[in-house]
Amino acid sequence: MSTATTTPARPAASSGATNGFSLRRTVHMARWNAVLLTRNKLALFYATALPLAPLLLVLAGARGDAGSGAAAIVSSILVAGLFPVYYNVLSQFVNRRDELVLKRMRTGEVRDNELLAAIALPGVVIALVIMAVSVPIMAAFGQPWPLNPLVVAVMAVGTVLMFAAFAYWTAAWTRNAEAAQLTSLPIIMLAVIGQVSISFPDTLREIASYTPGAAITELVRVGWFGLAEGEASNPSLAFGDTWAAAGQPLLVLVAWTVIAVDLMRRSMRWEPRS
Amino acid sequence: MTSNHLTDTAIRVRGLRRRYGSGATAFEAVRGVDLDVRTGSITALLGTNGAGKTSTLEVIEGLAPASDGEVSVLGLDPVRDRAEVRRRTGVLLQKSGFSGDLTVRETLRLWHGTITDPQPVGDLLEALSLGHRADVRVSALSGGETRRLDLACTLMGRPELVFLDEPTTGLDPESRREVWNLVRRLRDGGATVLVTTHYLAEAESLADRLEIMHAGQIVRSGTPTEIAEGHPSTITFTSLDAAGAQLPGDLAAVRGAVEEQGRTRLETTDLQGSLTALLTWAERAGVRLEGLEARTASLESVFLAIADGRDAATDDTPASDAPADPAGTLEGATR
Repeated sequence: MSTATTTPARPAASSGATNGFSLRRTVHMARWNAVLLTRNKLALFYATALPLAPLLLVLAGARGDAGSGAAAIVSSILVAGLFPVYYNVLSQFVNRRDELVLKRMRTGEVRDNELLAAIALPGVVIALVIMAVSVPIMAAFGQPWPLNPLVVAVMAVGTVLMFAAFAYWTAAWTRNAEAAQLTSLPIIMLAVIGQVSISFPDTLREIASYTPGAAITELVRVGWFGLAEGEASNPSLAFGDTWAAAGQPLLVLVAWTVIAVDLMRRSMRWEPRS
Repeated sequence: MTSNHLTDTAIRVRGLRRRYGSGATAFEAVRGVDLDVRTGSITALLGTNGAGKTSTLEVIEGLAPASDGEVSVLGLDPVRDRAEVRRRTGVLLQKSGFSGDLTVRETLRLWHGTITDPQPVGDLLEALSLGHRADVRVSALSGGETRRLDLACTLMGRPELVFLDEPTTGLDPESRREVWNLVRRLRDGGATVLVTTHYLAEAESLADRLEIMHAGQIVRSGTPTEIAEGHPSTITFTSLDAAGAQLPGDLAAVRGAVEEQGRTRLETTDLQGSLTALLTWAERAGVRLEGLEARTASLESVFLAIADGRDAATDDTPASDAPADPAGTLEGATR
């Protein structure tokens, strides 16, 4: 311990850097969070390999069959939302909260919103990259390019935002990292129920169509393939028709995202229960 | 903002209260604290476990809201002016954590990128004697090394006001001395330090001013000498009952005798006079005083008296309910 300097009489630094949200600080911390993710090999495997695996489902159908293509892509997107984003963000946040890493960071200049964004960013980037590369991969399997790329892009961004917000909400009532295995189940159910509801009776299917998983399914079918409601294959929608067909599922997805963000805001907890 | 450097008071707290929970389970950990910390001084906040030190510190740091009262840090509100207060202060929490999978150097680089005007990572590694451990993962560090890394983060932003919550707990004597030297150098560099500690001797030798907390209030404050002043000295010896002897009732300046665990303790305002009288009596009566000890009032004796509730200044403030006039409890203090 030779020298420790302090300069009490320091000129006022540019206050712009400390007011509100600093993108520079957020990206800086996100980069280190990504480093930490790469040091946890199992988490990294779950985050990257798992969402790509469902794309192989396309091989179950005939080459170029829209129905099996949509099923494969929807599964991949849901797994991308659930693993690199939802479960990864949930366990990272709970871990760092319990180890008092977050409490320590909050004594510094970092803002709360920056911490939240920085924890979510690596998983969000992984999920979006996986969704992006699935486009040429599907093309290689004889599937079409997205019919309405904007609808697909909005779906992708909405999906990762919603799952990140749900992760922080779940963290609020998750006691520790092990408990996350159980506390994550309701959201996982909510995500997959739209896909399995095809075998349900009509009334239940109607209810299930308002789940985020169903909205994502519908947006992929409409935006990527031009499949009208109920069509198993042989799409009938033209590009111009996709806007109207995407309206309802898009509203459902946005509504779930708003609900998730609101729940997160109300329940935010930065320190472990003593 | 710059004008704040020129004011005398770095921290000003009035009537601070902090409650946990509500209804029947509510607990008030801080019960009306007044505190002034002079710019450029080292102030030590002392108290037993549960006295409310950390609860007080967290409000001043802006980490927790006050239930009542006013707090001004560098002339700013620690909650409303959070950004500026954080930029100019450094906080060392009593308990904190780091990601175990990053190395010491990586952890400091992570912090470096979050600070407006950071010290170079290399300088801090050297200042905190962590250079040889720079590329070791945090999970492999000893408790003392982790605490030094923690301190490095605290000091990285060149803070003009530093909060240290038990900085030396868990450190070996050598590291403890290094930390205190570091704190001294901080003050010599012009910084203000508010520190809590369990080590009374260290606080006594290091702090310019002491604030002793008990049951959520500051019950004594002043320089170490001021605090011991007016506090009775003590004489203790093995109780005489067994020998069948009786103490004379009129020992000079003795306030009272207490029997405790087989020992007699006399409190006196005139140690030399009382001791002379006692020894003279013992000589004449042919009594041998076993285990005789005489002590001038020290910070430790004042502190222990307060902790045991023997201190006059705390007698009229029962711990179970908050007094209507918190300032009244400072009557016995040497402000």
